[in-house]
Amino acid sequence: MPIVHTQQLTKIYRSGFVKRKEVAALKDVSISVERGEIFGLLGPNGAGKTTFVKILLSIVFPTKGQAEIFGQKLGALEIREKSGYLPENHRYPSFLTGLQTLQLFGQLHGLNGSVLNDKAKSLLELVGLKDWGKVKIKRYSKGMLQRLGLAQALMNDPEILFLDEPTDGVDPVGRKEIRDLLKDLRAKGTTIFLNSHMLSEVEAISDRVAILNKGEVLKIGTVADITSTKLEYEIQLDQIASGQLCEKIRPLVRELKGNEKTLIVAVHDKNDIHTVQDLIRQEGIFVESMSPRKSSLEDYFIQLIQSGEGK
Amino acid sequence: MRSLGMFLFTIREAILRGTLIFYFVVATIVIAFFAFAIRVSPDDGKSLMILGNIIPSTLGKGITINPVEFVLLQFQKSSASFVVFFGIFAVAGLIPAMLEKGTVELFLSKPLSRTSLLLSRSLGATTGVILNMMYFVVGIWLIFGIKVGVWHWGFLLSTLVVALVFFLFFSIVALIGLITRSGGFSIMFSFIIYMLSGLLRYRTTSLYRLWDNTVFHRTLDSIYYAFPQVGEMLDNSALLIGTSPFDQLKSALVDQPSSPYLPFLYSFISATVIYALAIRYFSKEDF
Ligand SMILES: Nc1ncnc2c1ncn2[C@@H]1O[C@H](COP(=O)(O)OP(=O)(O)O)[C@@H](O)[C@H]1O
Ligand SMILES: [Mg+2]
Repeated sequence: MPIVHTQQLTKIYRSGFVKRKEVAALKDVSISVERGEIFGLLGPNGAGKTTFVKILLSIVFPTKGQAEIFGQKLGALEIREKSGYLPENHRYPSFLTGLQTLQLFGQLHGLNGSVLNDKAKSLLELVGLKDWGKVKIKRYSKGMLQRLGLAQALMNDPEILFLDEPTDGVDPVGRKEIRDLLKDLRAKGTTIFLNSHMLSEVEAISDRVAILNKGEVLKIGTVADITSTKLEYEIQLDQIASGQLCEKIRPLVRELKGNEKTLIVAVHDKNDIHTVQDLIRQEGIFVESMSPRKSSLEDYFIQLIQSGEGK
Repeated sequence: MRSLGMFLFTIREAILRGTLIFYFVVATIVIAFFAFAIRVSPDDGKSLMILGNIIPSTLGKGITINPVEFVLLQFQKSSASFVVFFGIFAVAGLIPAMLEKGTVELFLSKPLSRTSLLLSRSLGATTGVILNMMYFVVGIWLIFGIKVGVWHWGFLLSTLVVALVFFLFFSIVALIGLITRSGGFSIMFSFIIYMLSGLLRYRTTSLYRLWDNTVFHRTLDSIYYAFPQVGEMLDNSALLIGTSPFDQLKSALVDQPSSPYLPFLYSFISATVIYALAIRYFSKEDF
C-alpha cells in the first residue's frame, strides 16, 4: 500500500471580497508515493507543489478529490504525528535559540523531559549546529536556518518527511550535506517527499519524480524512465564528416547535429544506430567513440514545460 | 500535553514583549517605593502610615473606611486596569504572530487541533499578562504582610479574577487577530472595542440621552452585552477586598446588576460565543 495516495486532488483558491478571484492551484492530481522512496515533485514556481504538500498536512483544505496518508483520511491527527515538514520560507520566533526552537516543536509533538532534550541536542549535532544551540536564531544565516528547519522536521522521527525547497539559500557544500543526510534517512527507511523547482537537485537524489505544471501532473516516473527516452548518441570521428555522409545519414534519423568531428544523432530505434555506424565506415571514416546522450531531467523538464505552454 | 508546549511558549513570548517589560519596571519601582514608604505608626502600633502620614479611618463627614482595605483597593484597582490596558497592547499581536507566513505552517503541521492551538495561545497570552500583575500584587501583599501584619488573601485572589476577565476579553482579541492577521490592526480594533465597552457601560446616563428612541437604546444594550464586560467585572473583582466609598458614586452613573456575579455570567456567555466563532473561522482557513 502506498504511504501517500491522492486521487483527483483539486484546489481552487478563492480570494478577494469584491472581485472574486479564483486560482486553480491543483487540477485532478493523482499521485502515489511508496514507502521508503525519495519522491521528487518538480515544477516551476506557481505549479502548485507547496499547495499539494499543505493539503496533505491539513494546512490548506482541498476543493475536490481525496487523499490518504498511512491509510488515514486527510485531517487525521495521526498523519501529522508521523510526518515531518520543512515549509518553504519558514520563519522561527527570533527570540528563541536553536535549542529552544527544537524543544518547542518537540513539545508540540508530545515529547518532554530528557527525551526531548536529548533529541534536540542530537539533531543539532546531526545538522552541524552543535555549537549554535545556545545562540539566538536571529543571528543564524539562511543556510543555518535551513538546517535548523530540517532538524525541527525530524524531532518526531517521522515516517515521511515533506521538504519544500530544502536547499533554498544553502551554499553548494551545504546542499551536498543535506543530500547526504536525506540519503542516510532513506537508508533508515524514512520516506522523503521533496518539492523543488531546482531540477538538478532532485535528479541527483530522487527515486521517482512527478512533473507538475500549472496544477497538472505532466509525467510521473523514475528518473531513468524520464531521462532515457531520447535515444540520442554522440559519435566522435577521426576526421571531419563530409556533407555527402551527412546527406546519407539524415533520412535515417530523427535529428542530426554536430560539427567537424562530432556528430549528434537522434534515432527512432536503437538498432538504427548500427546502420549509421555502417554508413560512416563505408566512407572510410573511423569511429573513435560513441556514447548515448542522457538528456538531463532538466532538459526534459524544460521541454515538457515548453510543450505544455504550446498547447 | 502538546498544548502545554504552545502555552509555555506563548507565556515566554508575552513576557518578552516590550510593553510588559515596561510594566515590570514600573511595578518594581512602585513596589520598592512602598516597601520603604509604608509602615505602622509607632505611636499607636496599628495606624497605617504612608511616608510618615497616617491614613485616617474617616473620609470627610461620616464616611468611615478601613485604611488597610482602602489602600489595598486602590492598588488592586489601579493595577488591574493598568494591566488590562497594557496587556492588550502587549499581547494583541500574539495571534497574528502565530499566523505569520512561514511560522503558521510549522504550527499547523504539528499534531494539535486548531482549537487547541488557539485556546492554548489565548491562555498563554492571559497567563503572561497576569504573571506581571502577580509580580506587583504579591510584592504589595508581602509588604502589607511583613510591615503591617495584614496578610490579605482576598487581595491575592482578586488577581485570579482579573486573569479570568482578561481571558474572556481575549476572545475578541483572538477573533480580530484571526481575521485581520495583523498585529497593528489587532491592537487598534481590540482597543476600540475595549473603549467602546467602557463607554457603553455608562450608556443610561450618557449615550441614551443623545436620542430618546427605544430601538437606539436597545441597540446600545445589545452591543454592550455582545462583548465581555471588562469594567464591571474588574470592579467586582475588587469586592474580594472590600467596598470603597467611591463605589456609591459610580452606582449613581450606572445600573448596577442585582448580583455581582451577573456580569461574569453575561461575559462568559459572550466570550464563549466569540471563542466559538474564532475557532470556527480558524478551522476553515487556508494558510
Ligand atoms: N493562499 C493562497 N491564496 C490564493 N492563491 C494562492 C495561495 N497560495 C498559493 N496560491 C496560488 O496557487 C498557485 C500555486 O502556488 P504554490 O502551491 O505555492 O506553487 P509552488 O509551490 O509550485 O510554487 C500559484 O498561482 C499561487 O499564486
Ligand atoms: Mg512552493
